[in-house]
Amino acid sequence: MRERFLHHAALACIQRAALRRVNRLMVILVALGLAGCAGDRSILDPAGQAARDVVLIWWVMLTFATVVFIAVISLWLYTFKRKYHERTPQQERKIARRWVIGGGILLPVFSVSALLMFGVPAGKRMLPLPLGHPVEVIEVIGHQWWWEVRYPGAEGGEVVTSNQLVLPAGEPVDFHVTSADVIHAFWIPRLGGKIDMLPGRVNVIRLEADEPGVYGAQCAEFCGAQHTHMDLHVEALEREAFEAWLEDRQAERLAELALANDEFAQARDTFSSSCAVCHSVAGISSSAIGPDLSDIGARHTLGAGVLPMEEGAIQYWLENHQTLKPSNKMPSHDYMETATLESLGAWLESLTP
Amino acid sequence: MTTINREVTPQDPQDLHSDLHEVWGNPRGLKAFTIVNHTTLGLRFMVTGMAFFLIGGILAMLIRTQIATPDQNFMTPEIYSQVTTMHGTVMMFLFAIPILEGLAIYMIPKMIGARDLVCPRLTALGYWCYLFGGIILCFSMVIEMAPDSGWFMYTPLSSSEYSPGLGSDFWLLGITFVEISALSAGVELVVSILRTRTQGMALHKMPIFAWYILAMALMIVVGFPPLILGSILLELERAVGMPFFDIAGGGDPLLWQHLFWLFGHPEVYIIFLPAAGIVSTLIPVFAGRPLVGYGWVVFAITVMGFISFGLWVHHMFTVGIPQLAQAFFSAASMLVAIPTAIQVFVWLATLWLGKPKMKLPMLWIVGFLVIFVCGGLTGVMLALVPFNWQVHDTHFVVAHMHYVLVGGMLFPLMAGIYYWLPLFSGRMPSETIGKWGFWLVFGGFNATFLIMHWTGLLGMPRRVYTYDTGFGWDIFNLLSSVGSFVMSAGFAMVIIDIALHFRYGKPAKHNPWNADTLEWANSMPPSAYNFVSLPVVETRHPLWDNPDLPRTMREGQHGLPTISHGRREMWGTDPLTGKLREIIHLPGNSWWPLFAALALAVVCISLLLRWYPVAGIGVVIAVGFILRWSWENGAHPKAAPDAHVKAGDPPLHSRTMDGPGLWAMTTAMIANGSFFLSYLFGWFYLWTVSPEWRMPDESPLSLIGLCVAGVAAILGWGLLEKAVRGLREKNDKGLAFNLYGAAMLGAVQFGLVLWVLLNANLAVTETTHDAIIMVGLAYALLHSGLGAVMALLQGMRVGYRFVGAHAPFEPLVVTYFWRYSVLVFWMLIVALDILPRVIGS
Amino acid sequence: MKAMTQRLHLTHPGHFVGGLTLWSIWFVAVYGGLSVACAVATPDAGQGAFTPINASLLLVSLFTVVLIAALAWACFKEAKRHQARRHFNAKVSAWLYLFSALAVVFVAAPMVGLPPCL
Repeated sequence: MRERFLHHAALACIQRAALRRVNRLMVILVALGLAGCAGDRSILDPAGQAARDVVLIWWVMLTFATVVFIAVISLWLYTFKRKYHERTPQQERKIARRWVIGGGILLPVFSVSALLMFGVPAGKRMLPLPLGHPVEVIEVIGHQWWWEVRYPGAEGGEVVTSNQLVLPAGEPVDFHVTSADVIHAFWIPRLGGKIDMLPGRVNVIRLEADEPGVYGAQCAEFCGAQHTHMDLHVEALEREAFEAWLEDRQAERLAELALANDEFAQARDTFSSSCAVCHSVAGISSSAIGPDLSDIGARHTLGAGVLPMEEGAIQYWLENHQTLKPSNKMPSHDYMETATLESLGAWLESLTP
Repeated sequence: MTTINREVTPQDPQDLHSDLHEVWGNPRGLKAFTIVNHTTLGLRFMVTGMAFFLIGGILAMLIRTQIATPDQNFMTPEIYSQVTTMHGTVMMFLFAIPILEGLAIYMIPKMIGARDLVCPRLTALGYWCYLFGGIILCFSMVIEMAPDSGWFMYTPLSSSEYSPGLGSDFWLLGITFVEISALSAGVELVVSILRTRTQGMALHKMPIFAWYILAMALMIVVGFPPLILGSILLELERAVGMPFFDIAGGGDPLLWQHLFWLFGHPEVYIIFLPAAGIVSTLIPVFAGRPLVGYGWVVFAITVMGFISFGLWVHHMFTVGIPQLAQAFFSAASMLVAIPTAIQVFVWLATLWLGKPKMKLPMLWIVGFLVIFVCGGLTGVMLALVPFNWQVHDTHFVVAHMHYVLVGGMLFPLMAGIYYWLPLFSGRMPSETIGKWGFWLVFGGFNATFLIMHWTGLLGMPRRVYTYDTGFGWDIFNLLSSVGSFVMSAGFAMVIIDIALHFRYGKPAKHNPWNADTLEWANSMPPSAYNFVSLPVVETRHPLWDNPDLPRTMREGQHGLPTISHGRREMWGTDPLTGKLREIIHLPGNSWWPLFAALALAVVCISLLLRWYPVAGIGVVIAVGFILRWSWENGAHPKAAPDAHVKAGDPPLHSRTMDGPGLWAMTTAMIANGSFFLSYLFGWFYLWTVSPEWRMPDESPLSLIGLCVAGVAAILGWGLLEKAVRGLREKNDKGLAFNLYGAAMLGAVQFGLVLWVLLNANLAVTETTHDAIIMVGLAYALLHSGLGAVMALLQGMRVGYRFVGAHAPFEPLVVTYFWRYSVLVFWMLIVALDILPRVIGS
Repeated sequence: MKAMTQRLHLTHPGHFVGGLTLWSIWFVAVYGGLSVACAVATPDAGQGAFTPINASLLLVSLFTVVLIAALAWACFKEAKRHQARRHFNAKVSAWLYLFSALAVVFVAAPMVGLPPCL
């Protein structure tokens, strides 16, 4: 059994080498052709080993499938053109058996066996097998319709943020995902496959980003009216930058930042009396119904991908969020003065650790 | 068991027709609601299915309009969710399955040489349930309260907390209502195919289409109950608060996914098999030679029927199931490639060895092949777990699914419709308009969905109502939308062609395609009774081997041409050999199916509106109607009071101990058993895997109470078996006593179970454990109660002389029900009460 | 009784569903057994595929394969002895048994290389 296992591993190695070559070719073809317009969510533009394996498998499968497809269809169409031959029943039986056994049994058996040999090793790589050294763990919790991201392993205490996911590049990361309400799915297309986020269960998936960079992600399991607007900004940083990023988000530092500027005292009061029921800002409130806002000024988008973060964006969001993202769970703020919203927005925008 | 070889002189077909028409013909006016004839009801099914297809198609157009370009505001997100959900629901449940059932209902008796399906009133009940359920479901769109959680209704999104409106209730109740029709069609198609083939048509001589439909019907019988159970549980959770899928109470949302896909995956094959049956029927006709490898096709059908039940988890590869378990399902999914490939190559070999002609139906078949092979290949890709993880829930899957369903079902269906049009109407369709229609549909389809694969690979998830520009999705979505409109234009063309042909089509000559199967021995369009006389058929190709057969059949030269007795009659034959066994007499037109369906519609609507007392009354009335309908059987004046048959003919089925009703009961109990096993699966699944499962140390159910109830059931069953033994020996002494005794013991069982239930103090809204026990006991109550009532009614029928040594059939059917009921009751006792005591929580 | 024994005869079309029914039961047993085993006693992830769970699943599979293959062989032999209807039935059953046996092998193959509960 052990031998077979080794044999299996060796086979996987050869496959990988062969596929890398195929992929290089395909990447060139794609670069020339359609994928030129691929965005940051394209499966065909992998940025991690797991996703790369899948793309290799895809191109091999596509090539093979195309050959089979053309062969079968051509044979079918050819039967309408070819001349009819009179045959004895014995001859007919022989020809029929050849088609049925060759095409009906051998062809699929061969194809699917080959496919499984490629596929199983690729799947194994995404398992959270023990590695001999600790792996960074990031918890991601889905909400209707935003993401809660937690770093339980951060030195100096857990770090919490929302709608953005920063991970160290060049090393495997285990994502522990779950949901606070309905089923969502966690998926960073360029890094690898998706996993569902189920209430009451924690699923684990291991992904790795080759290089620092920004990757798109979006909830993949239909989760209600605003499933569409549930983007996650994913950013891979070098290890040191990642550590620094975590360091900046320690609760004391964030609290300092939130309480720093006296000109926002009014805004903080407003926040405490209304927003704090749902939102938390370190040092001021700690409710977890809505997204944590402690570092909101440093995020790239608002409303899980609805608006780009820029000056005045938060105020605009607060005024219009029910039209920008209809039926989101935050109540409308019609009753608040424009000036109040403006100061609130300005303060939140200043929360940039 | 005699083969009847009549040497009858030809009679005037016109006289024979008017005689038969007298008994079989359809009434007009208001009485058209009473029709139970399979030809009429098959057409009603198909026309209704087409209407729902148009509704589903319009919904698809709305979807493609909304996402044609980025950042559109054509629909609000809520409406968009409703539209996508309803598109899937309508196409799957109200179009694909019913229209194929309709085709089978229409075609099967004609192909196997029968005059009707074996339970005509059940056909009618099925149709009304389908129609009313469909209308109720679609009405939800009119009031903007349509279901909006996606067509597979995943909990907790579809639960009352996250979908507080009536949407999910419309889905759950409406679909369950419609499924009554699927199940009734499934049951009677199985029995009809097995027991009513014409004389001599052994199992291996029946038309290949009948094999496909047999497999489809059995799959419906086994495959639908898990979803019915799931729907009942979810509706109970929504309406009463029993926490089956709620983590906090000890339930598990994944149970819904298991139950849904336990149904949902076989469903794909339930749709594909009859369509493949059309392909296997048409190809030999247009190749002008028998199907090559009939045995291989039977092999492939059987394999598909089974394997498709072992694939459901491949819809759930991303839910976090252990990879080894995923690998089982991945491998099983790939195995389906084998029977599929066998069929494709059998068809190829048939064409290869024949002289194929490219007529309009054949064009659709070739279109089917191109699209379906594509869909099959992407299906194999999707079975590979790592690839699945990437493209699951993206537009790639949407594209794959449409390739399989449109390619695998709609194209063969169109081929079939064009092929059988002359039979439906007696006229030929127009080749020119038909070809235009085909090419527009074919081109439009590929433009829409081939491109959609690419959109998916670029990372576009399914069911988003809009998207930002900049991901590279814009142009592909626009092209897909344009393609979809071309496809709709094609369908408009096809519909115009079909509509026009009824008026302007060339009159068709008899058997216009030179086909081999018996349906072409009908008059065109067919009469209500199908065949004047029923032939002996010992070949797979009756019309090729004996082109004269239609004429001799019309002239009454074969079996059962006399109708002076006024009964609707046809042959009942041995399921394996096709030897003659009995004459089956069928009931005539009846109001009861419509009334029962109306009562069920009242139940459905009052459950929606939470008027539970009305719903309760509705159930009682519906059951009353159905029992009233069962009253008109056996020696009842409206059935067969007089059992005289012509010398040499076999006896009437109600005078034997093995009529088709017994087979129908058995098949229905297979469906019931599938429901029960799904329930046990749910119980053990929650017990072992549910994250927050809580179970008391001591079972709340009184073991003694349940065991005494079980013993009462066994005693009642024993009395019935004794009665049946007597009847087999033509002895009905003490028959009424035994039946009444069984009824009494059934009542005792009912009372004891009720007592156990009331004494258990179940907190059904608190814990999943108590809720699921409640459902199990309710199931036991239903069966004991129904068993008692059925035995009681039979006892009364003895008094009326509808049942007795002269008409011994019905008590046997009731006994079969009791056998099932006793078995499952004891299984319930073991699963719910004994095992928890032995294993502990 | 007579009807029952007839049904057991290898030329009865009941055998069409025999192999696949055994396959289904095996499939349910293996999938269910795996789920229960993982819920009750999860082996250490470091053990890879060499766990008692994999071993017992493989054993069950082996037994099933032998059983179904024997039936396939018996059906092939029976088919040779008959003509027409009985030949057809036994032959189709034989191929279906053969397919079921191979299906067990094919589906069981990943047990050799994958850890059971991850």
